[in-house]
Amino acid sequence: MTQALGRVVATERKPNTPHEFHFWTALDSPVGIGTIVRVDGRRPVNGQIPRVYGIVTEGFSYTDLVTPLHDVMSHDGAPESAGFASAERAEIRLYSAAVLRQIPEEPLQPVPMGDVFLALEEDVNIALRMDGYLRDGSNTGIPIGVYRAGGTDATIFLDADFLVGPEAAHLNITGVSGLATKTSAVEWLLSSLFAHFPDSRGSIAAVCFNVKGPDLCFLDLPGKLDDGDRALYDKMGVPARPFENVHYYAPYAARGYALNTLRSNEALAHNVTPLTWGLREVLQYAEVLLNRDDIDAKADALIDFITRSVIDQSFTDPMLSRAHVVQSFADLEDWFRDVLRGLENGNKESWRTHHVATIRKVRNRLSNISVRCAGLVTDSGPVSDLPFGEFEDRATYVVDVANLEEDAQDLIFARVVSKLREHLERRDLGVKHVVVFVDELNKYAPGDGPDTYVRKMLLDIAERGRYLGLVLFSAQQFRSQGHKRVVGNSGTSVFGRMDPDELAAPGYAVLSPATRTKLATLEKGQLMIRHPHFTQPIFVRYPSPAVMAGRLGAEQFPQGGEVSLDVAVYRSLRARDSSVTLQAVEDAIGLHDEGDVLRALAVTLKERPSDVLGVFRARLPKRITQSVQARPQVAALRGGRGDDPYGAAR
Amino acid sequence: MIWSKRGISVSIDALRAIQSLLPDAEIVQSDAPADDSYGGAYGEAPCIAAAECVEGRTLRAHRVVGEPEVRFAGFLDGIQRARIECHRNGVPIVEGRVAAAIRVRVNRRFTTWGHRIPIVSRRLYMPLVFLQCEGRTEIDGFDIVDTSYDDRTKALVSRHPGALRAVAFERVGRDRDEAERNLAELWCSAGDAEPLFIDGGISGSGRVASASCAVGVIKSHQTLFADGDALEVVMSLRRGERSSVFAPPSTRRHSVISWYLRLRDPRGHDAMFGLVRIEASVGGDVASRANEISRWVLAEAAPLSLPDSRWDRMAYGIRDCEQFLRAIA
Repeated sequence: MTQALGRVVATERKPNTPHEFHFWTALDSPVGIGTIVRVDGRRPVNGQIPRVYGIVTEGFSYTDLVTPLHDVMSHDGAPESAGFASAERAEIRLYSAAVLRQIPEEPLQPVPMGDVFLALEEDVNIALRMDGYLRDGSNTGIPIGVYRAGGTDATIFLDADFLVGPEAAHLNITGVSGLATKTSAVEWLLSSLFAHFPDSRGSIAAVCFNVKGPDLCFLDLPGKLDDGDRALYDKMGVPARPFENVHYYAPYAARGYALNTLRSNEALAHNVTPLTWGLREVLQYAEVLLNRDDIDAKADALIDFITRSVIDQSFTDPMLSRAHVVQSFADLEDWFRDVLRGLENGNKESWRTHHVATIRKVRNRLSNISVRCAGLVTDSGPVSDLPFGEFEDRATYVVDVANLEEDAQDLIFARVVSKLREHLERRDLGVKHVVVFVDELNKYAPGDGPDTYVRKMLLDIAERGRYLGLVLFSAQQFRSQGHKRVVGNSGTSVFGRMDPDELAAPGYAVLSPATRTKLATLEKGQLMIRHPHFTQPIFVRYPSPAVMAGRLGAEQFPQGGEVSLDVAVYRSLRARDSSVTLQAVEDAIGLHDEGDVLRALAVTLKERPSDVLGVFRARLPKRITQSVQARPQVAALRGGRGDDPYGAAR
Repeated sequence: MIWSKRGISVSIDALRAIQSLLPDAEIVQSDAPADDSYGGAYGEAPCIAAAECVEGRTLRAHRVVGEPEVRFAGFLDGIQRARIECHRNGVPIVEGRVAAAIRVRVNRRFTTWGHRIPIVSRRLYMPLVFLQCEGRTEIDGFDIVDTSYDDRTKALVSRHPGALRAVAFERVGRDRDEAERNLAELWCSAGDAEPLFIDGGISGSGRVASASCAVGVIKSHQTLFADGDALEVVMSLRRGERSSVFAPPSTRRHSVISWYLRLRDPRGHDAMFGLVRIEASVGGDVASRANEISRWVLAEAAPLSLPDSRWDRMAYGIRDCEQFLRAIA
């Protein structure tokens, strides 16, 4: 039995209620904002001594002074003399606490008078209702951090059923930039999730969009941890090591063969895969790249017609000069030209119900997609995509979109997430649950502004994803400026250090002034958690992620420079087979054109053969070997003088 | 205790106890006469008394030499509350509460001495003769104090309700004096007792009056021990000055030495502003003792005891003691 550290008090002006109570403590008690306490009542209710668990939300301190002037007079207006006073004034530490849980829960009564104790670890479990999901045999707890107060160190668990679904799902992180709150917290939480996600709930993977700098570019490399961090990892039973199964995807730069990512150092190329899409992949999500004015019913109908009847099949029409097999943007451009030529030649205004103006508009919009999204969308090159259908359990797939134009970013978001949803609906993704991490939610799902495809898609995940196993981990600096339904559908909310201006938003009015102040001054490594099981926000500490920080990684592994086609292919193949040499690759490529080489490379990487170079060679188109034959000797018609360059003299 | 709508406290348990003995007693719910300010000399009229000067031949002002020195380890004070709970045919029945405590200073903060339970008592003060229930000493756990007779003359008190009330209130005050005296004697009985600041005089107890650790500080001056020129000297004391040491008359009390000390600058204030009278045990070099103890008392001038109206004379330790007793009694 621990010693009481305070006593419940209630006055007519400050009465206790079923959801709030007040208590005082000694001046040197370890109680602070966010401390969890337990109140033991004195009189039984229905034969049971009531126990109330609460979290400190506000603190007051005052003396018996009626006015500050009295203190000034006490010390003759000289502050330095205060230290010589014979005594210090009587002082009180009075705290307000919000009720976390009452036992018994019925009848729900105002908090009784009683002694106040610091909550021990088992008290914390009960107070936060964690005892309901930490039972042996049905443990669905995911450690999120350690609650510390006084001498109590208690691991705080989230309920996997309420973090990943199906009961509730999604997580939203808010915090100011530059304090490594958002990214670090997600990296830590994913480590914890992978380590503790219960087998009974199936497999899980994560898809992270790296939207700025090198934040997520070095998840597979070890970071710097101090003893305190290691102790936290041990306490929570999470291995203090980087992610073991990480796959990076990045499009090519707009020009050249280097990948458009900060993880382009040759030493790290082994798990970086190009992300390139062709016509079919893009056209399905063309509306992402088209503004609202473009997507009228007529244009939509034409795009639908092209998708269904033109792409990847032999298309013939009496008006056209030839049969078309459209497989690339280049093919599509040829098809459009043929259609428009036919219309002009026939002096027609419409073709197959599509007006010539609509055809011209759609051609204009679609044909420049490969320019706007250069590097991602290939005009006629190979397709390289995430391994939809072959996702691995506990694997992390990082899609680096940091250096892309906004259109390309939107396209990647839309397509990747839509594909994930499609596969999860069909239960053929390879894993049962996928966590999608999207940073900068303020940008992709703002509360105001146009209703973009990406925002609609994020909203769809937030509202329906939990039934599919599609879980959104989102982060932003200003929660109040995010879309209310995206943010509001997050079952779990995490707050790091907050901007005071943001805390002035109406959404934070539910927090006490002291809690808001604490949020504005949170130190690195501290978070405030809201979770469906917790009736009040809880402050926790979490360790630094065990992965290399983005900035450090960028220094240790500088970005690779622009490379030739030969070198790009060599690096890609060597990642699969270290015996491949640059000379062998150069010999294999020879005079093949770029498109053929990239296509062969993509096929090779996709097949993952044991003989990488052999397969690559085999996938290159056969070229006719130039054989130099000796010119047949033809006998001279007549002999001539050898010294007459113009022939025989006549 | 509950509070009526007018803010008057009513002790339900005390009323039940009284009504179990006197069912026809009428409850007093209005602003019944109460006494929360007993000063130890109930009903005493202002007067001047002559005192023998023991430091020189005539009373004069002395500058307290040296810096104020924090030496008091404990502060003793008591409180009382007396209220007419009910009456029977005009005969008042008073409930009296008495409490006393010593608050010791630890790291410049006050806490109750030795973590002892302070002396707290609740009694019913009843003139049993007029209530026709002589011989009763207790009702339902309440001790009864019979206020039918005058303590000094042993004569039956007048039936006048005012006289009965005055006797009851005075008896409550004496109980408080006794509680304070008991605590002071307990403190002084320790062999190496540190200085104790007692609110009020120390001459009521022989053991306390002779203890070198006990220092009584009197804030009220119903009786001024200075006559003629001496009174002028006392009234003219400036801040940090004391009077010569004198010996108050000890007809009914034990011998002590005493002197006046001005704690604060009286300019712009009443003549008694910041003026206290100090009592200490007889013995040693009275001048040096008076100077030393004056330095101790001057050290207690801060922090101020505001918002108490007697802040100019009250040490903060005594205010803390009063606050403590009001909270528990």
